Amino acid sequence: MNSSSKFPPIKCRRCLYTTDHPLGLTIDEEGVCSGCRIHEEKDSLDWGKRWELLKELVAPYKVLSGRTYDCIVPVSGANDSYYVVHIVKKCLGLNPLLVTYNKYFNTPLGVRNLANLRIKFDCDILYQNINPVSVKKITRTTLRELGNIYWHCLAGQTAFPVQTSVRYKIPLIIWGAHQGIEQVGMFSHEHAVEMSRRYRKNHDLIGLEADDLLSIFDTLNEDDIWQYRYPDDATLKMVEVRGIYLGNYVRWDPKMQHEKMMKLYNYLGANLDRTFDSYDYVDCFNYMGIHDYTKLIKHGYSKVTDHACREIRHGRISREEGFSLVNHFESKPVPFIDQFCQWLEISPRSLAFILNQHGANNRASVGYDGNYEYSQQKRRAPTKLLDPSEILSKLAFESATSWELKAGDQYITFGKGWSKNDRTLC
Amino acid sequence: MLKKRLIGVVTVRQGLAVQSFGYSRYLPLGSPELVIENLDRWGADEILVQCIDRSVQKLGPDFSLLKRVGDLGLSTPLIYGGGIRHTDDAVKVISLGADRILIDSILWDSQPMIEAISRELGVQAVIANMPVHIKLGQIYWRNYRSSEEVLLNINTAQQLPIEWISEILLTDWRHEGFSKGFDRRIPLVFPIIKNPFILFGGLSEYDQYTDVLSIPNVVGVGIGNFLSYKEHAIQNIKDKITAISLRTAHYTAE
Repeated sequence: MNSSSKFPPIKCRRCLYTTDHPLGLTIDEEGVCSGCRIHEEKDSLDWGKRWELLKELVAPYKVLSGRTYDCIVPVSGANDSYYVVHIVKKCLGLNPLLVTYNKYFNTPLGVRNLANLRIKFDCDILYQNINPVSVKKITRTTLRELGNIYWHCLAGQTAFPVQTSVRYKIPLIIWGAHQGIEQVGMFSHEHAVEMSRRYRKNHDLIGLEADDLLSIFDTLNEDDIWQYRYPDDATLKMVEVRGIYLGNYVRWDPKMQHEKMMKLYNYLGANLDRTFDSYDYVDCFNYMGIHDYTKLIKHGYSKVTDHACREIRHGRISREEGFSLVNHFESKPVPFIDQFCQWLEISPRSLAFILNQHGANNRASVGYDGNYEYSQQKRRAPTKLLDPSEILSKLAFESATSWELKAGDQYITFGKGWSKNDRTLC
Repeated sequence: MLKKRLIGVVTVRQGLAVQSFGYSRYLPLGSPELVIENLDRWGADEILVQCIDRSVQKLGPDFSLLKRVGDLGLSTPLIYGGGIRHTDDAVKVISLGADRILIDSILWDSQPMIEAISRELGVQAVIANMPVHIKLGQIYWRNYRSSEEVLLNINTAQQLPIEWISEILLTDWRHEGFSKGFDRRIPLVFPIIKNPFILFGGLSEYDQYTDVLSIPNVVGVGIGNFLSYKEHAIQNIKDKITAISLRTAHYTAE
């Protein structure tokens, strides 16, 4: 929770965010939030000029001998992975080393998309598989202390690329969009902000580095957390590591980008229970499941609000339509609780007990009978609620129905293969 | 010769560290404590935390923030500004871990209070913030609460209690936050020459730092927004500036 939370939240008049946003949000004199203001730059910047800046920036990193990689690109089985690799390899002509952190909550479609990415782009890829016993211990600690099951994913996804950069002496890391810019307008695109330890700790890791998790009152120890350490400053300096964000140089529009990747490389999406965006988080059982619900419990909103705000800003839906979609999806059941409890080896009642302790609002809680209760009473629609099916038809997100998760599906905990079932690779 | 200083400026509004642009537009950065912790690790020569809404909203200093910052165990000297109303506030700010205080509103409201604070803390602990800008060759001092401006000349400057102030933070408020914005005439035409200056507002480039730090009466520069864009921003500046005597860059090794 950010330290501004003691101030009464103020709503943006354009999107659905309030100043309670955990990344921080400011509202200007016209009642418009920093996220919406910075988004306006997408329609005013000279993106051709910014593309030239990007080309100039990466040119010195091209390895002429061809004996090593030009850069590192962190990927998963979803999000913007395809588009980033497309830009890096096909448009900038760089030879990237792909790196991916195994989050253990992998879906069959996520594994399929990652395998397809490697094949279609003909790239080398490094997987990091941390000892699952340690991952579970960390998850138990962060769930108990922070009400967060995703700390290890975010820590791993943000540390492993930097560790690899140091280990292989490949200074340039290329990320997709900067979450702080996309959601809350933390920086102008023209600031050309780069990866930093401070941002990672503050926003990705909720203020806690790996070493901060260690406590004499816990079973977690040095052997469990060292893989999540960010390299020290002297090491970063020695290799001259820098991480850039493509979103500062390319007009970022995830929906359009994913649809382009579907056409060009057969990226696949699938419908998810708790949001209308069928492209972003199809690689994970939990991001749009239990993790999404913990966000609702702690912050009073869930991922569908992020997706709706993004679509409002891109002008594809109105604020009223966005609100109606949020209202529709936020109250959907939380899927795959049993799989998570089975993986973490805790009972659903224990999970309910811990989640309720982290509830910072009265909108969401968990009954000890496993009922994930949700109240919409405190939200008031700006006008009347609209029919979500009409809005969804207008947005027209695509999905591959054969890859949709079913109730009995299990995590694919080792990331190199894919499920042997009737689903085909391409 | 005394080394000159790079001062990391953390602007806090409604409890949130922000980027500030021209005293009127703000972008969120995150937790003030984590921004401060980062500047400490990077080896800033001094850290200035300015809570810009405390006086306007009559909230007093942000003691809660100071307590949390004190718990960080910083090795970098800390300046705190924002909401300080009287000697008791100033003493409490120092007791919570700040090394010096920055005053702005009191300069307008109660100049005798500045003497009282300095007698309590020592003159070395009191810095005055003066938001200024140059119009038609003359320098104007802005009251940021009322947006009123006063022409600063020899006569008006003589009325300020400069003997109770150690250094003056000259803030180019119009260009604050904007790249290459700082008006370098400010330290040259400012009518007080007895007190050393810290310059702030739109200082973003290596050649700017070298240029203004070479002015004899300038002892340091404040840098805010521009420290948030790249890793090792403080060390990079120190590595690049060779013509000015600064503490050397430090890269933490675990």
